[in-house]
Amino acid sequence: MNEKKSSFPFSMIEAMMPMYPLIALMGWMIVFIAFLVGLFVLSPAQAAFFSAAKAVREGASIGSAFVSANVTWHVTEAWVPQFKFLGLGFGLMAIVMALGTIALRLRRMGQVIASHIPEKARPTMPPIPISVKVFQLGTLMGVMILMLALIIGIVLAVGAVPSYWNHSIANELNPAQPGSTLLAQLGVVSSFGFWLNPLRMLGMAFLFTGITVALTVIIGVLRQQAGVLVKFYQHASSTL
Amino acid sequence: MNNEIRNPASPWQLKAYPIFTILGWILILAAFLIGLIVLAPIASSYWGGNAKATRDAAEAGSALIGQLGTLTMIPRWLEPLAFFGVAAFMVGIALEFSSIPALLKNRGQVMNACFPLIVKMSKEEAAQKSEVSK
Repeated sequence: MNEKKSSFPFSMIEAMMPMYPLIALMGWMIVFIAFLVGLFVLSPAQAAFFSAAKAVREGASIGSAFVSANVTWHVTEAWVPQFKFLGLGFGLMAIVMALGTIALRLRRMGQVIASHIPEKARPTMPPIPISVKVFQLGTLMGVMILMLALIIGIVLAVGAVPSYWNHSIANELNPAQPGSTLLAQLGVVSSFGFWLNPLRMLGMAFLFTGITVALTVIIGVLRQQAGVLVKFYQHASSTL
Repeated sequence: MNNEIRNPASPWQLKAYPIFTILGWILILAAFLIGLIVLAPIASSYWGGNAKATRDAAEAGSALIGQLGTLTMIPRWLEPLAFFGVAAFMVGIALEFSSIPALLKNRGQVMNACFPLIVKMSKEEAAQKSEVSK
C-alpha cells in the first residue's frame, strides 16, 4: 500500500497539503490587516489631505502635514492592494490544498478497499494522474505571481512613489518639465496600476485553474473507483 | 437493486466546465495584455512625457486628448472584463462541484452491492486457506 514518494517540489507540496486550515487563516488575517491599514492609515491620510482648500494643500511644502499625508496615501495604495490579493490567493491556495487532501484520502480509501478484496479478484491500482502535478504547479505559480506583485508594490512604495509625491504639488510637481526626474517618476507612478492590477488577476487565474483541475482529479478518482468496483462486481457475481 | 450497478454516467457538467475555464483565461489574459501593451505605455507617455501645462492646454482632437480619452475610457470596461473572467472560472468550478452528488450516489450503490461480495469472497478464501493448512 506504500507508494513511491514524489520528487521535489511535489513532495514538499504534498507534505504541506494537510496544513490548509493554517494557510486559510493566514490568508484571512492578511485581508483583515489590509482592512485595518485602510481604516487606520489610508482613510485618515486622505481625510488629512482633503481637510483644506485645494490651493492650501497643493501649495504646501515638503515637511508639511499635507505633503506627508499625500505621501502616506499614495505609498499605502501602492502596496496594500497587492497585499490584499496575496491574502485572497492564500485563501484559494487553502481550497486547492483541501481538495488535494480529499483526492489523496480517496486514493488511500481505494487502496484499503482493494486490500480487502481477495487476491485473485483484486484490481490493480491505477497510477497517480498527471493532472495532480498540474494543479500543484498551477497553484504554486499563482501564489508566486501574487508574491511578485506584492514585491513590485513594495519596491514602488519605497522608491518611485514616495520620491515623487514628497514634493509640493503646486511649486514642484506641477511645473516639472519633460525630461525631468519628477516627470519620469510621474510616468511610473501613473502607469504601474495599468499592468500590475491585471497581473494580480493572472495570479488568481492560475489559482482558479488549480481548483478546477483539483476538482477534475477528485471527479476522475470517484469515477475510476466506481468503474473498478463495477468490474469487480461483474467478475465476482459471475464466479460465485 | 443489483441490476442497477453500472459505471457512473458522464455528467453534462464535465463537458461544459472547460468552456468556462477557457473563457476565464481568455478574458483575464486579454485584460493583462491590453493593460501591459496598450494602457501602460500610453500612461507612461502621457504623464511622463508632457508637462502639466501642456497636458492641460491640449486642444480637442489633439494626440494628448486622444491619449487621455483612451486612459479614461478603456479601464472602465477592462476591469469589469477581468472580473467577468473570474466569474467564468467560478461558474466552471460550480459546475464541477454540481456533478459530485450524482457520483457519490452511484458510488454508494456500487459499494452497497460490492461489500457483501467482498465479505463472501474473503470468507471463502479464509476457509480454503484453513483447509489447506489442515
